[in-house]
Amino acid sequence: MRNIHTISLVVVFILFLAMGATWVIKKAEQANHLLPPVIRTLPYFQFNTHDGESFTVNDLKDKITVLDFMFTSCTGPCPIMASNMRDLYNKYSSIPDVQFVSVTVDPDTDTEDVLSSYAFANGVYDERWKFIRSDIGSIKNLSRDGFMLFSDDLPAGHSVKFVLIDSKGQIRKYYDGTDEASMVILQAHLNLFLKALHS
Amino acid sequence: MRYFFRFSLTTLFMTYLLIFIGGLVRVAGAGMGCPDWPKCFGRWIPPISVEQLPTHIDPAQFNFVLAWIEYCNRLFGAFIGLMITITCFLAIRYHRKEPKIMIPTIGAFILTLIEGWLGGVLVDTVLNPLTITFHLLLALFIVVLLIYAVMQAYYLGHKEAELSSKYSDTLKWPIMGTGLIIFIEIIIGTEIRGGLEIIRKENPLVDSTFLLNMLGPFKYLHTILGASLIGIGYYLRKKLIVESSNPSRLMVISTNTMLVIIISQIILGESLVFLDIKPLIQLFHMWFASLLLGISAVQYMVWERSRLN
Repeated sequence: MRNIHTISLVVVFILFLAMGATWVIKKAEQANHLLPPVIRTLPYFQFNTHDGESFTVNDLKDKITVLDFMFTSCTGPCPIMASNMRDLYNKYSSIPDVQFVSVTVDPDTDTEDVLSSYAFANGVYDERWKFIRSDIGSIKNLSRDGFMLFSDDLPAGHSVKFVLIDSKGQIRKYYDGTDEASMVILQAHLNLFLKALHS
Repeated sequence: MRYFFRFSLTTLFMTYLLIFIGGLVRVAGAGMGCPDWPKCFGRWIPPISVEQLPTHIDPAQFNFVLAWIEYCNRLFGAFIGLMITITCFLAIRYHRKEPKIMIPTIGAFILTLIEGWLGGVLVDTVLNPLTITFHLLLALFIVVLLIYAVMQAYYLGHKEAELSSKYSDTLKWPIMGTGLIIFIEIIIGTEIRGGLEIIRKENPLVDSTFLLNMLGPFKYLHTILGASLIGIGYYLRKKLIVESSNPSRLMVISTNTMLVIIISQIILGESLVFLDIKPLIQLFHMWFASLLLGISAVQYMVWERSRLN
């Protein structure tokens, strides 16, 4: 009798634990699978890539994009940002639906050739990572009005955010491009959008 | 004197509960719920809205649900830390002259401090897989030390316990070997789990049922060792219960429970392989493994005790 009593107590206890855990896992899954809401739709812009091709807002369509603002001679946070972007670029090498865009905020120095060698130095070997440029006025407009990022003191004062853009060219979330933990979340969100794109 | 026994037994039970909660945080993916340590988003009580975040933390890292899951884990962890500290005080108060109680209790206390600090390292390294494994292994060591202290305290109060039981003398290596296999299984298991997580992250479009196929040969070793544990479990049952003379109640319970858990583990493990990788099953698979290790330790201690006769 005593044995049966103990065994049923243990079973009830385990069931109780399982119920609690199920509830927590469900809550966490809902939280983890929530797509970040639309922040805003990007205005029209037309820039040039490091390959000399035109890059417009329409090139963001039907792809998931991670975009940042940088300049090649920057020694502050940019090397960390570039390294994080490079990691992502390498991780998604088999998925052409994900593209990476780096906008230079120093077009005087970052000519097409400079951007090209910078891309080469970062191991860019295909179309998935583009470095784009325009005149400083258009860059400032895009950064400030399009992306709502701090842009008063370019080039040095550019934002360190990585911006996640969905397949309709809408801004979905900003991440600190120098923070490892933020990169993990960016990747999780990227994967969610990818799955949504493929379903 | 009974205070120590009762309190340390409760602490042991609660520590197992903490291992469960820790595993829950992991399967829920809430390990980075608080990106700083020991505070959560710079606060002792996690924020409830983005406006409350400090400026040095990226708001993208804030997720209300995950922050609170991780925070509950930390609160419970701190509570267990306090319980182990009290256990230590009780040991000093009542069993100062018993090294068999003092050493494991103080050992558990020191390891608990390291375990807490390791929790901080985990957050700093953004959940480095090796650190996660170490975090679990340290918890298992703490549990085994607590079990030892609890058992010794029990024997102090029951001088005749186990002394009328007679088991085979040659079981030292079979029992210890079983513990070792369980320990190795746990390490391989964490390896499989960590590998799965990386593969899942890097192949977002691959269905979860295919993920296991992408893992290395570790998974076969895990299954083979696991299956061999059934045989070992039966063998130990035969030796420790059937062929022994007057086995103690604790020995009967632990040996039978061990067999039941081994069989449950095989079922849970195979269901992860053949059905789907369900977080709840992963959680119980890990937790049962930690129980199994504890039971193996109990078995050894009971056997060792009976040899005093």
